[in-house]
Amino acid sequence: MPRLPLGDWVDSGVNWLVGHFSWLFDAVKAVMEGMYDGIDAVLAAPAPLLMAGILAVVAWWLRGLLAGLLAFAGFALVDSLDLWDRAMSTLALVLVATVIALLISVPLGIWAARSRAVSAAVRPVLDLLQTMPSMVLLIPAMLFFGLGTAAGVVATLIFALAPGVRMTELGIRQVDAELVEAAEAFGTSPRDVLWRVQLPLALPTIMAGVNQVIMLGLSMVVIAGMVGTGGLGGAVNEAIGQLDIGYGFEAGVGIVVLAIYLDRVTGALGTRLSPLGRRAAAKVPTRAWSYRPRPAVAVAGVAALALVAGGLGVLGSSSGTSEASGSDIGKGKEIRIGYIPWDEGIASTYLWKELLEERGFKVTTTQYAAGPLYTGLATGQVDFQTDSWLPTTHAEYWAKYGERLEDLGKWYGPTSLELTVPSYVKDVNSLADLEEHASEFDGKIVGIEPSAGMMGLLKSKVLKEYGLDGTYEVVDGSTPAMLAELKRAYARKQPVVVTLWSPHWAYSDYGLKKLEDPKGAWGKGDGVHTLARKGFAADNPVVGRWLKDFSMTEEQLTGLEAQIQKAGKGREQDAVRTWLRRHPGLAGKWAPVAGGATESRAAG
Amino acid sequence: MQPRLEAEHLFKVFGRRPDEAVERVRKGADRDDLRGDGTTAAVIDASFRVEEGEIFVVMGLSGSGKSTLLRMLNGLLEPTAGRVLFDGRDLTALTDRELRKLRSERISMVFQHFALFPHRSVRDNAAYGLEVQGVPRAERERRADEALALCGLAGWEKAWPDELSGGMQQRVGLARALATDADLLLMDESFSALDPLIRRDMQDQLLELQKTLRKTIVFITHDLNEAMRLGDRIAVMRDGRIVQTGTAEDILLRPANDYVASFIQDVDRSRVLTAAAVMDTEPRGDEADCGCETAAPDTPFTELCALSARLTHPVAVLDAGRTLVGVVPRQRLVGVLGDEHGEATACDRDGGKVTGRA
Repeated sequence: MPRLPLGDWVDSGVNWLVGHFSWLFDAVKAVMEGMYDGIDAVLAAPAPLLMAGILAVVAWWLRGLLAGLLAFAGFALVDSLDLWDRAMSTLALVLVATVIALLISVPLGIWAARSRAVSAAVRPVLDLLQTMPSMVLLIPAMLFFGLGTAAGVVATLIFALAPGVRMTELGIRQVDAELVEAAEAFGTSPRDVLWRVQLPLALPTIMAGVNQVIMLGLSMVVIAGMVGTGGLGGAVNEAIGQLDIGYGFEAGVGIVVLAIYLDRVTGALGTRLSPLGRRAAAKVPTRAWSYRPRPAVAVAGVAALALVAGGLGVLGSSSGTSEASGSDIGKGKEIRIGYIPWDEGIASTYLWKELLEERGFKVTTTQYAAGPLYTGLATGQVDFQTDSWLPTTHAEYWAKYGERLEDLGKWYGPTSLELTVPSYVKDVNSLADLEEHASEFDGKIVGIEPSAGMMGLLKSKVLKEYGLDGTYEVVDGSTPAMLAELKRAYARKQPVVVTLWSPHWAYSDYGLKKLEDPKGAWGKGDGVHTLARKGFAADNPVVGRWLKDFSMTEEQLTGLEAQIQKAGKGREQDAVRTWLRRHPGLAGKWAPVAGGATESRAAG
Repeated sequence: MQPRLEAEHLFKVFGRRPDEAVERVRKGADRDDLRGDGTTAAVIDASFRVEEGEIFVVMGLSGSGKSTLLRMLNGLLEPTAGRVLFDGRDLTALTDRELRKLRSERISMVFQHFALFPHRSVRDNAAYGLEVQGVPRAERERRADEALALCGLAGWEKAWPDELSGGMQQRVGLARALATDADLLLMDESFSALDPLIRRDMQDQLLELQKTLRKTIVFITHDLNEAMRLGDRIAVMRDGRIVQTGTAEDILLRPANDYVASFIQDVDRSRVLTAAAVMDTEPRGDEADCGCETAAPDTPFTELCALSARLTHPVAVLDAGRTLVGVVPRQRLVGVLGDEHGEATACDRDGGKVTGRA
């Protein structure tokens, strides 16, 4: 069989689209981000408990008192887990995706219900959208819409579209044909048949579709979190990236609360909206826990709470103080830093966040996977990132995006890549020792993401050099999976060999042994570089100079990492501040201000 | 006078190349020949006229094409060939919009399974046709309530269809059809889904309403008893063709072929027949001269039997002008009931036994 270059076609198709329709994508993006920002602003404006109250009243109105109380308890839990803002941004994302999905899927479903040809044409497309692994769609979405909300919405949307179309079509098709005929027999026009008979009767099924759309949308937010949508999805991704089980669970609970709330509320909305559902609900005897306020009361309740919220919001925003100081160089200018959740990345990113904020910049930090981060830099979505391992580990990214990036130089190095075994594994000290101990390790080397530079190097060069090609198999996976495997084996004192690199916190947590590389197969170590988008240094000459001059010693870096590790999740910047206070002078050295006015401030 | 409704050589063929199929049927192919090609001739060459104020019943078994025929009469289905004339207007020549207007104002329909809208109250169901016409709410509710009252449902306006029994639901269906004040009522097996007793009630009510409303009604049924009870004239369909059209008595006494004859075996003749159908139309002339009770031409058969039992001689039948139009000898009553049209033969006493003839 000849090799069909399908992938190349798709590649060039995507490139062509990006080249010729960027105006369209920009417009779509603007609309989506506008919707998202609007909804998010409304949801996040009131105090969390007040918003929880509003959401609870909605649940009370739709489902009864018990549902309202549970909703309040659920959202209070989310707030107490310190996930409120993230939950609201996820809710906003899901709502935007749902609204757009419905605007597309309901008319499409109606059309498919009325025309067999359309139905037949739409079905395979839906199958494709629904079953194509979402990660595969995420990358083109990112190329079209850049990092952030829009790409997340699109990825969510595509995944959630199918049930909306299917359920709408099904709902309309299953309306009794005799009823449609009756409507026609009395001279109803096709449009009125749809509005007066088919849609009202199909409504319960359509609402079930809406429900599905929302649920699938929620299940997609975690994946969307990989392209920097933030929210609970972002939290889950951060937790996965850092193997933080507790935090991952908390974020997961947040998603579950949202899911259950949205599921129950949209389910109840279906019965409220459909005349048949309303009648059925009216027949059920009312009890205290199912007592529901009249719509007018519910609207009044929501309005009252919203007014209170609005009032507090106004007061709250006016009481905010500005932290102007003598060293205000940034004057509120915005700088976006992206990072990969590796320890040196987190440490240096929060270090620069703190330094730049001290100097009056407004800094946002967003976590990404490596691929999206480079894409974001190349397209100018991210200003700079501090964790680029060059020339080896990130060679592929550099080859692809290097022309559109600016290298601000190495700030740490050399790093090293290695295969590592726990120190309790005797007799294996060098790569050369591995061959004869293959059976001990089951012939497996636990690897990380197959896309990582070191994995390519391992498979194509290191194994060959030491003749391990036939005896070992490299297990592709992910960094968290590799670390989990290491942790598991370490706890049981089983032999294991993993791919690892320095600096890495695992070396301080476990007793590990780097395998020597007498033949130099891994090559010389990388340097950790700071990469900026093209033109960043020209736009921000001062910051550009600071970053070019930046460097850290191993002692400084590991010390900072340890401080951050100790402070725990969510307190990275506090840890940086503490660390800077203990090391007076560094802030002034890394981000000097004319006259050294900040020296005292950093020390204090 | 122009008939209210006229069907001229209607054909309806489902499937591929229907026009070709019509040609083949015209040349003598039958339904089975077509079925091999995947086409179905549902209605073949149907022609009839329905006069104003008449109940015209189309009777046939399932698959005979009667429902398809009915749906061509209001344009829900377009005939493959032939024309439908309603008050002289050719329905097949109308645009979709004109056809919808005609359906909303002049023709209404009652369905086998009621086809009430479950998401509308009884009143809103009855008012549906008026709503389509764009009649203002207050007026359409008034007219809907009138129609419901006419059908015996006063007081049920605010109920919902699923709260009503089958018979009551069909009354709503009837009220919905009557509310628009349409001239032509199409009733598609409207009473078939009801219990026998309720079905009789509904039939009686329809006849009662018809006395005052004088609608033109085309009624589809598979039940010959129902057809004979309701129909001023009856068309019997078989395999897409109308095999006989006539009054109940025509069909009962003069079935066009064996198929119709086999049908009428199950019919309760005593319910259908009247004095006019069974009487001997060549009376001697003096039968009414005694002071005994007499019958009229439309005296039902059962009453005639009762009369005959009270008299010692044949019953005289007098028309509205008290003129003698016929006599009914008792033997004739028994003969009609037994479907025996021959003369009685004298028995042969020497031959022994008398054998009954079934």
